[in-house]
Amino acid sequence: MLGVENLTVKYGLQTALENATVRFEAGTFSAIIGPNGAGKSTLLKTLVGLLPDHADAVRFDPGHSARSCISYVPQQQTLDWAFPVTVWDVAMMGRTGRLGWLHWPGRQDRQIVEGALKETGVYDLRSRHIGALSGGQRQRVLLARMLARQGHLLLLDEPLTGVDAATQETLMALLRAQADRGRAVVMVTHDLEQARRWCDHLILVNRRVIADGTPEQVYTTQNIEATFSTSFLGHTHAEA
Amino acid sequence: MHLLTDPLQFAFFNRALIAVVLVSVLCALVGAWVVLRGLSYIGDAMSHAVFPGIVGAFLTGGNLLLGALIAAVLTALGIGAVGRQSGLKQDSAIGIVFVGMFALGIVMLSRAPTFTTDLSNFLIGNPLGVTPADLWGALAVTLVVGGFLTVIQKELLLASFDPTEARAVGLPVRRLESLLLILIGLVVVLTVQLVGTTLSVSLLITSSAAARLLARNLKKMMMLAALLGTAGGVTGLYISYYANTAPGATIVLVNTAIFLAALAFRRE
Repeated sequence: MLGVENLTVKYGLQTALENATVRFEAGTFSAIIGPNGAGKSTLLKTLVGLLPDHADAVRFDPGHSARSCISYVPQQQTLDWAFPVTVWDVAMMGRTGRLGWLHWPGRQDRQIVEGALKETGVYDLRSRHIGALSGGQRQRVLLARMLARQGHLLLLDEPLTGVDAATQETLMALLRAQADRGRAVVMVTHDLEQARRWCDHLILVNRRVIADGTPEQVYTTQNIEATFSTSFLGHTHAEA
Repeated sequence: MHLLTDPLQFAFFNRALIAVVLVSVLCALVGAWVVLRGLSYIGDAMSHAVFPGIVGAFLTGGNLLLGALIAAVLTALGIGAVGRQSGLKQDSAIGIVFVGMFALGIVMLSRAPTFTTDLSNFLIGNPLGVTPADLWGALAVTLVVGGFLTVIQKELLLASFDPTEARAVGLPVRRLESLLLILIGLVVVLTVQLVGTTLSVSLLITSSAAARLLARNLKKMMMLAALLGTAGGVTGLYISYYANTAPGATIVLVNTAIFLAALAFRRE
């Protein structure tokens, strides 16, 4: 459905990602895994179209484009939770890209938002200010916004960070269900265990793609060492 | 009761009251976005940067609003261009452009025959000098800006709360910001009349900042900001009438006091 080909991203002299080629398919729940600074978020940002200099490395299947089908869920802590909006308002923001200019939400949009909030279990909190929510509830609200957008391609940046164990289960089950319904779900995470339990496609990244395949193919001691220890070596090398 | 009704026998006082209410509503509409997007510094810059536009219009007998609008557009574009060309951070670009524009305004004004009184009017403002034509202008600007903001509200909301998602769905985040700058410039022209360039950013953001501390959603925040701004403006006018103080600065002081009260009483 979507992928990147030979993507190399540099920030100044530092190489964030070198020669990466990956594909994400409909009906698949993929996880991009790696240590901090491994280029995971860079890969995600490229897919979303936030690095316009690298847009030519992104490959969409015919009939798809970033604007028409991507739902993006940013890292929770990048948002301002003191912003004067309620749970309902945030979920309704998912409709903004769909509605377009000079169109206002109608009954159908309200039904979609209501359904999304119920599915993620925060409908009862819909009138609350977002600042009054726990980390897990915030993530549920962001997922509701993602559902309300009704994209075919769901991209999530660290959805498990700052979320309690019970909510983690709910979130992963919900994402799994989205993939089973034919959507392409891609999450960036450093939680190898959760990814292995729920995903059917793992990509290990550390400034390049170390391994790419099913959990059985990818989850080997050798691959994991290569992913998580070269980062350490890489760092000392870069600092020296 | 006489305390309240006495000043109302003067037409200039009534006009000042109406102007204060109109500008408070306008500032609430625009100020909410300025506060939410962290553009207060740009607001301050804008209030100084439209100065040469106002002076130019004043010296040539042109329309002050139009002069300020041109200066606002030039400044909004200039800040972007300086930032891009020089690679400097945005705050440096803003600093360079707005001080330069302000100095240009003062140099232009120093060529005017009645330099000192006019300068103090521009810098400090005088709500008691508002003319009926000014009021119609203020009403027109309020309607235009209000209409604009209503039309692009859901886009502004997404671009302000989550610029990343906004760019992902294809909203022109930068152009929205430039538009906001131009609207700020328009609002500043009206506030200049009341409190002068140096204090106008106070009207733009203080009530909105106070409202943000108390309100749960955007609509309530804007309504509360309009209410607090109106209350502060009217109270300030009366105080200045009886205490014989500079009205613009008195209004700003009352607004500041309201903000401090909101800070003290906000829900945890």
